[in-house]
Amino acid sequence: MAQKSAETTKPPSKLRAFLAKSREYAPVWTLLVLFLFFSVYSDSFLTLENMGNILNQVSLLAIMGTGITFVLLTAQIDLSVSYMATFTGVVAAYYTAAHMAQPWPILVALLAAAFLGVINGVGTAWLGIPSFMVTLAMSLIASGLSLWLTHGRIIFDLPPLANILGSGRIFGIKWLVIVAALTLLVGHLILRYTRFGRYVYMTGANPKAAELAGVNTKGIVTAVMVIAAVTAGLAGVVGIGRLGSATPTAFDGMLIDAIGAVVLGGTSLFGGIGGIPQTVIGLLILGVLRNGLDQISVDIYMKTLITGIILLVALVFNIVFAGKKEG
Amino acid sequence: MDTTTPLLNLINVSKRFGGIHALKGIDFEVRPGEVHALVGENGAGKSTMMKILAGVITDYEGEMRWRGQPVRLKGPRHALDLGIAMIHQELSVMPELTVAENIFLGRQPLKGGVVDWPRMFREAEASLAELGFEHVNVRDTLDHYPLGVHQLVEIARAITSGAQLIIMDEPTSALSPMETHRLLELTRNLVEGGDKSVVYISHFLEEVTWVADRITVLRDGEKITTLKAKNADKQELVRLMLGKETEFFEESYIGAREVEDTHELREPVLTVRGLSKPRAFEDVSFELHAGEILGLYGLIGSGHFELGEALYGLLKPTSGEMVLSGKPLRGNPRRAIDRGVAYVPPSRRSGLFLEKPIYQNISLPWLAHISGFVPSVAKEVKVADEVIHRVGVRPPDPLKEVVFLSGGNQQKVAIARWLVELPKVFVVSEPTRGMDVGAKEEVMHILKEMSAAGVGVLLISSEPETILAAAERILVMAKGRIVEEFVDQQVTKEMLLAAAAGEMVEQPA
Repeated sequence: MAQKSAETTKPPSKLRAFLAKSREYAPVWTLLVLFLFFSVYSDSFLTLENMGNILNQVSLLAIMGTGITFVLLTAQIDLSVSYMATFTGVVAAYYTAAHMAQPWPILVALLAAAFLGVINGVGTAWLGIPSFMVTLAMSLIASGLSLWLTHGRIIFDLPPLANILGSGRIFGIKWLVIVAALTLLVGHLILRYTRFGRYVYMTGANPKAAELAGVNTKGIVTAVMVIAAVTAGLAGVVGIGRLGSATPTAFDGMLIDAIGAVVLGGTSLFGGIGGIPQTVIGLLILGVLRNGLDQISVDIYMKTLITGIILLVALVFNIVFAGKKEG
Repeated sequence: MDTTTPLLNLINVSKRFGGIHALKGIDFEVRPGEVHALVGENGAGKSTMMKILAGVITDYEGEMRWRGQPVRLKGPRHALDLGIAMIHQELSVMPELTVAENIFLGRQPLKGGVVDWPRMFREAEASLAELGFEHVNVRDTLDHYPLGVHQLVEIARAITSGAQLIIMDEPTSALSPMETHRLLELTRNLVEGGDKSVVYISHFLEEVTWVADRITVLRDGEKITTLKAKNADKQELVRLMLGKETEFFEESYIGAREVEDTHELREPVLTVRGLSKPRAFEDVSFELHAGEILGLYGLIGSGHFELGEALYGLLKPTSGEMVLSGKPLRGNPRRAIDRGVAYVPPSRRSGLFLEKPIYQNISLPWLAHISGFVPSVAKEVKVADEVIHRVGVRPPDPLKEVVFLSGGNQQKVAIARWLVELPKVFVVSEPTRGMDVGAKEEVMHILKEMSAAGVGVLLISSEPETILAAAERILVMAKGRIVEEFVDQQVTKEMLLAAAAGEMVEQPA
């Protein structure tokens, strides 16, 4: 406690710089180590085809993760994204099955997701409910809506656009990967180069100070919750195209992976630090890990355990270093 | 008790932090039964020395002796076991626990493995009675009582733990004059028996000269002198502490200042009428004129900081009005900024982004003005570079993160932000808290320059020195109301304290 006084123990700036750097680059090292490990121990890992597989496997997570990155940067969290994805996919399919003219089902579905995002944002920013509680409730609402709309059945009528984006190819490249890359790119440009992006970082770094500097922090928090909802919705729309059907629990299980990937990349849970490049690294770590474990024919029942342990280690790292932001 | 052997000695003690020589060859002695005061500016080495005494810092050069025996403390626990207790500036009490629990925190008397409550209450009562505070009910939770009692509980804790040497670090900084008076008497009583001693750190010189037997002055890590408190002259002490000519603060430390009425010549830029906010302030009315520095003084909790927040749109008043340049002022910080109101909060940490570079801290309110939808870092850095040179931030590197700056320089960054576009009204709360005198002078210079440029400065503080150093006119708040205005007269610190406390201060004589 007493050591906290500025006068006494500030670690030498070299050490601080080193700690900061090692925190910043730890995910990159993790990725490289995993990559090398699987390249050496598996013949089938390091092939062009398998690399494509990895990209394909993380694409939905990437779309969702873009929005989660925004949310985490403001020091909030969204636990409803995967259920929103399911819900959005269900809505798009539901109205397609009801013969609504295209592309309206997709637009209506994305608007519905945005609306749920607004509720998340208002609950968090204006009503002051912790975001993890609001979004936890929202996950039930979104999930409940999916069940209610489908009555538990699978819908096979999908918007044609969803089919193309989910499983089509252009010049041999999957549309899915292109959509993911574009989403990440747009997210990156917004965060890095716009005033709004700066406000997102500053709101997360110190919400009180941001408010004092005239930033509409409640508006920013609401906006990022909406962005997370819409990217989740986009993942849902593309996702049903990939699966070929809309089921009432299609993407529910992606929540841990989506948040995990963002945190693995090094975006701080305490806000203000991180970004899309970090999220890309995190996605690749998760993708390489999942894919690699398949390749080296590890006991299939241990896959989840190993992934969980790696996620925990990354979280510990994230918190140990982010928690020591200043002395 | 052998009174010839000092209770504690420091012999030629030095301490470095990296390249900084925090203590240089200090000799220091505490005799049994004395109050030994330690004075000096921030950064003079007081806290480093205290931390050595309390076992917090253990890697120093030189020797410490306890009752004549050389000792090397292994940590705070070791210091406590020997009988050295430190009472921190930031109290380490738990307001939700009872008074008794706080006194026996971490060493509650046990009976068969569970807390022996009756015994704990009995002993807590006894120890408070010994200190002359029978009216405190040890069964109440501490948050029933004012800060003065919190301080008392810390002292009771130190004494019941068997401390022989009690180190008090700025014990009165949050206390009302009455509470201060009582604490000073208590401190004297503590040492009367001749076996306990107190090291008393404070920058309130009246207190120090009243309570202490001897005073040691530190400056820049060196011991300047130790003198008998009886012979100490306040003016002389200030000179010893500062060691250099100072413009504003010397007279404010002594505590008298002429305020004059210059505002009749100027137009009011801000008019506040009947402003009220329950549990914060009530029926507040005043005018702030272009180009003046209006001091708003009050004890902590008197509502002056909340008034500052209301002017900036952080608190919504329930009644009354604020008029800026003829038009009503309301809304949020963004609208306040656009209307020409700037604000610096009392706590630096809540106003700055410590991990972000200086330029981002400065440009944030002005991003839309500096460049369009896409911020131009080059322009931001240029703007920041100009204003931080004007206020003298060291080092003047706009790319450096604020966390690497000293407290004084952080504050300069917080102020520099509002030089990008000069406001009409500058509400600045506690701008010099915890800063050394040099940095305080620089901050005061900036405020004076801003007022000279026509800005109406509302200087809000609970430190009389800060108010007296710069204000041209002074309002005093107590319990949410403006109770006094000082214009055209000689004002002393005692007058401010008396007005703020709503009572005549009993001058310890």
